[in-house]
Amino acid sequence: MDERELDPRLSSASREAIRKEHRLQSGLISYYGTYLTRAAQGNFGRSEWLERPIAGLLKERFPLTLRSVVLGLLTAWAAALFLSLAALYSRGWFLDLTGTLFSGLLIALPGAVVALLAMYFRAPVFVAIGVVTFPKLFRYLRNLLLHAYEQPYVLAARARGVGQARLLLRHVLPLAAPPVAALLGVSISMAFGAAIPIEALCDSPGIGQLAWLAALNRDLPLIVTLTLLVTLVTVAANSAADLLHQRAQ
Amino acid sequence: MSGKTILRTLSGSILCAVVAAGLLAGSLTHYSYDRQFREAPNATPSALHPLGTDSLGRDLLARLAYGTRVSLVLAPAAALLATLIAGLFGGIAGLAGGWSEKLILSAADLSMALPLLFVLIALRALLPLDVSPLISVVATFVTLGALGWPASLRVVWAAARNLRNSDFLLLARASGCTPARILLRHVMPNLRPVLFAQFWVSIPLFVLTEATLSMLGLGVMEPLPSWGNLLKGLEDFSAVRANPWMLSPLVLLVGVVVCFQLILPAEEALT
Repeated sequence: MDERELDPRLSSASREAIRKEHRLQSGLISYYGTYLTRAAQGNFGRSEWLERPIAGLLKERFPLTLRSVVLGLLTAWAAALFLSLAALYSRGWFLDLTGTLFSGLLIALPGAVVALLAMYFRAPVFVAIGVVTFPKLFRYLRNLLLHAYEQPYVLAARARGVGQARLLLRHVLPLAAPPVAALLGVSISMAFGAAIPIEALCDSPGIGQLAWLAALNRDLPLIVTLTLLVTLVTVAANSAADLLHQRAQ
Repeated sequence: MSGKTILRTLSGSILCAVVAAGLLAGSLTHYSYDRQFREAPNATPSALHPLGTDSLGRDLLARLAYGTRVSLVLAPAAALLATLIAGLFGGIAGLAGGWSEKLILSAADLSMALPLLFVLIALRALLPLDVSPLISVVATFVTLGALGWPASLRVVWAAARNLRNSDFLLLARASGCTPARILLRHVMPNLRPVLFAQFWVSIPLFVLTEATLSMLGLGVMEPLPSWGNLLKGLEDFSAVRANPWMLSPLVLLVGVVVCFQLILPAEEALT
């Protein structure tokens, strides 16, 4: 039984309406069937907890999260690419060790702790998202580039006297490009996942915070819609990366 | 001994010590994790409370010891579940090929596109509000294990696919081995390092995810302690400033995750 049915202020008609809604939602497959047909028409239904259409909530909150995620990803990618390329360029142990230690420490922090740190230092939300995604990107990129750098043809190019910068940009990066493009899609999914604890604890009114509130208030339609939306964004980004890769070949 | 071996031995000993401390929580402290000392909330360390108390006056050392038990017993259990799922379906996909391979791989790809945290809190929202702490603990780690397999599955699949066309399997088939024997005696020993590596990398991942979930109030329920629950105390900045020992759960968690990474099995088993 729904907790709302206990509300004495409701008329018998409203109670009947709640029961009818529940009967409609009872069959999982038929529920998702109707849900998806409606969603395809732009009607995501209503949030049970806020009693508002979900489409309006998304319009209000999605841009903010998108902005934080894009800025955060740009920061993280720039830092990870720069550090891993610089470590390879200088061919010294110092930058490599610093990057490895730094990322090893950051990777061991739960997302919510990073959010608390951001709150403590009054850092913007996108910085926190960048801090959560950076260590994973750096580790992966570093291994990819190192692997490409150890290929025999890179050694051959070096033997021909190709300069270090040209070696990295013309010989190492193109080989590592396809897996790096694949990492792009994964990093978007990671950044949206990181947005939940960060927006929730830093009180940034985006969809990450909305998902958290929806879960706390047991608002299933809302959280299912949010999950689908983020999945859609991730799948779209993955497909775009795939297409780019195919065009390049 | 090389530097790397020393580091791995050291990390291993630290991990063993922490696990032992969690299992022997009862003899480390004689307080219960939910006993409240109402006259001493947010107390600084003293002989009675070596790490002080939290905002409800509960002994922090006792909560840390029992929280370590919860986190370090259940995260490996969840990792085992995830690895079993990944091993079973990844193995089938890699060895059988054909439509089952396509089906399993597309399921894994789809699950990888779903952001884990969104799905976790959606599933957690299905549970009623007033579940007992014990059920919340089990539900948290079972969902972690049941959802944390897609990345491992792809690794296991790649390893199993390499085995599919190997000569020794052909020989085994030619000499009339039954499928069960091939699977147990020829395939499993070859996949064991890969499976173990996946099990090992899943543990810190689940420890961290549990911490985030519990800090958001969607993981382990009070009064049962877990590392995530203990980290919730850090939200009160002034209390942390007064008693820096409140940071000890964070230090322990970071230390343990770093140790897990340092012992990481050979890298070739991971890619």
